[in-house]
Amino acid sequence: MLNNEEGVSGSLNRISLAQLGWRRGPDDPVEEEEAPTYLNTKINCPFLVISTDKLSAQYNGDARHGYDVGAIQSNCPAPVRKLLYYFEIYVKDKGHKGNVSIGFTDQHFKMSRQPGWEPNTYGYHGDDGLLYHGNGKDGEPFGPKFTTGDTVGAGINYASQTVYFTKNGKFVGSAPKDVKGPLYPTIGLHSPNEKVDVNFGQRPFVFDIEQLAQEEREKCQAIIEKVSLPLSVSHWIVRSYLLHYGYKDTLASFDTASGNTIPSVLPTPQENNSLDIVTYALDERKLLRQLIRNGDIDSAFKRLRERYPQLVQDDMSTICFLLHCQKYIELVMKGMLEIAVTYARSELSRFFGVKYLEDLLQDCLALLAYEEPGKSSVGYLLSLAQRELVADAVNAVVLSTNPAVQNPESCLQSSLERLLRQLTACCLERRLLNGGQGEIFCLHKMLHGVKEGSW
Amino acid sequence: MEHFIPSLSTRMYGSTMLSIGLGVSNFEGMSANVCKSTSKRVITKEEWEKKLNDVKIRKEDMNKLVMNFLVTEGYVEAAERFHIESGTEPEIDLATITDRMAVRRAVQSGNVQDAIEKVNDLNPEILDTNPQLFFHLQQQRLIELIRNGKVEEALDFAQEELAPRGEENHTFLEELERTVALLAFEDASSCPLGELLDISQRLKTASEVNAAILTSQSHEKDPKLPSLLKMLIWAQRQLDEKACYPHISDIAKATLEDTNV
Repeated sequence: MLNNEEGVSGSLNRISLAQLGWRRGPDDPVEEEEAPTYLNTKINCPFLVISTDKLSAQYNGDARHGYDVGAIQSNCPAPVRKLLYYFEIYVKDKGHKGNVSIGFTDQHFKMSRQPGWEPNTYGYHGDDGLLYHGNGKDGEPFGPKFTTGDTVGAGINYASQTVYFTKNGKFVGSAPKDVKGPLYPTIGLHSPNEKVDVNFGQRPFVFDIEQLAQEEREKCQAIIEKVSLPLSVSHWIVRSYLLHYGYKDTLASFDTASGNTIPSVLPTPQENNSLDIVTYALDERKLLRQLIRNGDIDSAFKRLRERYPQLVQDDMSTICFLLHCQKYIELVMKGMLEIAVTYARSELSRFFGVKYLEDLLQDCLALLAYEEPGKSSVGYLLSLAQRELVADAVNAVVLSTNPAVQNPESCLQSSLERLLRQLTACCLERRLLNGGQGEIFCLHKMLHGVKEGSW
Repeated sequence: MEHFIPSLSTRMYGSTMLSIGLGVSNFEGMSANVCKSTSKRVITKEEWEKKLNDVKIRKEDMNKLVMNFLVTEGYVEAAERFHIESGTEPEIDLATITDRMAVRRAVQSGNVQDAIEKVNDLNPEILDTNPQLFFHLQQQRLIELIRNGKVEEALDFAQEELAPRGEENHTFLEELERTVALLAFEDASSCPLGELLDISQRLKTASEVNAAILTSQSHEKDPKLPSLLKMLIWAQRQLDEKACYPHISDIAKATLEDTNV
């Protein structure tokens, strides 16, 4: 009797909860990336003296050859889930020769070399103003020299995959390279008495990094805005969304209003009959949604039994499970705990052991453990969003009874959802193929204006 | 007004006519993207569908997008009903949409003076701080006068209200000259400047006012949905450089096409 397999093709009877958009509680918190805060003194660099706060370095070697450089990295690599990374140094003393350098190096870097001399390292050198990136001591003309009293910055632009440098608050330039992380902010000193302070952001930067971030975003946005869209496609997608979910009243208003103001821009129903597929059972779907949204699960069940008996015939189906759960949740919400227990025994217990449903079942039953379930970790079940989820699931299975539907799973998602999934997948995949660097696209954060440290 | 007319014939025909029509779709090169380069990663339809399924899209975020569209585009009744049917909170006071739409409708139906008064009732700073918008509204008013054959009134209005502004701003002057040139044609609709009389000119002015009002209410002037759709097309093009994977090439249909076949 029990069928533990997920998603039997040809019907939505055994569809998994994940496919219906159900997620247990709040999102997994995205772990914060560690960002450099001090110089890493754990790797031995015999030619340097590091201050106790690990934010200043001084050269104390003899600087006789190419292998007694005093280089030092930050305590951890630059974070990669960002648009930009940036840090600065202040040259306190250029020492004898001013062989100060700033840049990025990887984990294989030897601390007795200048950043930029080794493969996969980048360095902007103060004594000659050259940029070195992995070609030994062959630097290329880049920017001005820098010396005592100058503030020099180095950063990574993950969108363009370049490293960039600044001097005294002015952008010097960037190196077009396929920059691959993880990279450590690094400084190199190579003549007696050279001394620098490092700023990993513990103090305000001299360079306006916010401004650069904003420019980068606007540049990207401007390119995107230039893309042309098919005529009134947004209208079309909103309309099909309203149809898909059975928001009938909204749809009627929307049609009336768009008919009045912009008749010429509205698309005419196209030759394919995709429209008919979604107008299917619109009144029924609207009614069922209302019943479920009002918490009247009994009536929703009754209606389904009358109109779509095939959907509720199999009392082990996912949709029956969801409705029974919701009925039980409504009882808990009303404080009718004893009735809820009886209901669970008669209608929910048979779902024990069904793998793809067990998370929700567990959470439902856990409601009984709390005096104030609304404040518990399973409190999300009492929200309107849970009713909406059940209503959406019922909407999808009703849509799937349309004989014109070939693949029932196509009823699960609106055009809008398919487009947003494609958008997210494309952005994530591109990031992955770029070595997993750059901001992670997240629609939710975008809509809620959440910025991760803004740059 | 003498100094307007002579310069017209020379400038008018020499200038390129910008068509104001809405963007035309261009999907060439997108749908039939056969993967030739071997350096690109090939992602099969099955792999891609798994990735699509792993994406988490919240219903409430989609509702929010739809609400944002209804509100920004001024579908006040639909927004009200959507609030009831989906439980999505509108992002601004829906009453302000009604006022905004009244202004928009006034421009769209040619009652520009009425629209200007309504804007000033809403917030006088909108026009005070936005000379270009004010000029375009006045220009639209002139167009409406010409459309209605009120030649004398149009001339007076152009010289008294618009010409002084043209002196301040060269672009305004050119616009003004272009508009006044409509008077030189018996049947203005068939003249090369007929586009000014077109309904699209009203829509353009109306959406400019609409955007200015939204900005004054600290609301974004454009809905988010079209930007996201553009971003989708852009993101697919970006990923094309690195991988071969199933596309959605027809945004309206939103169906996945296997490009690796």
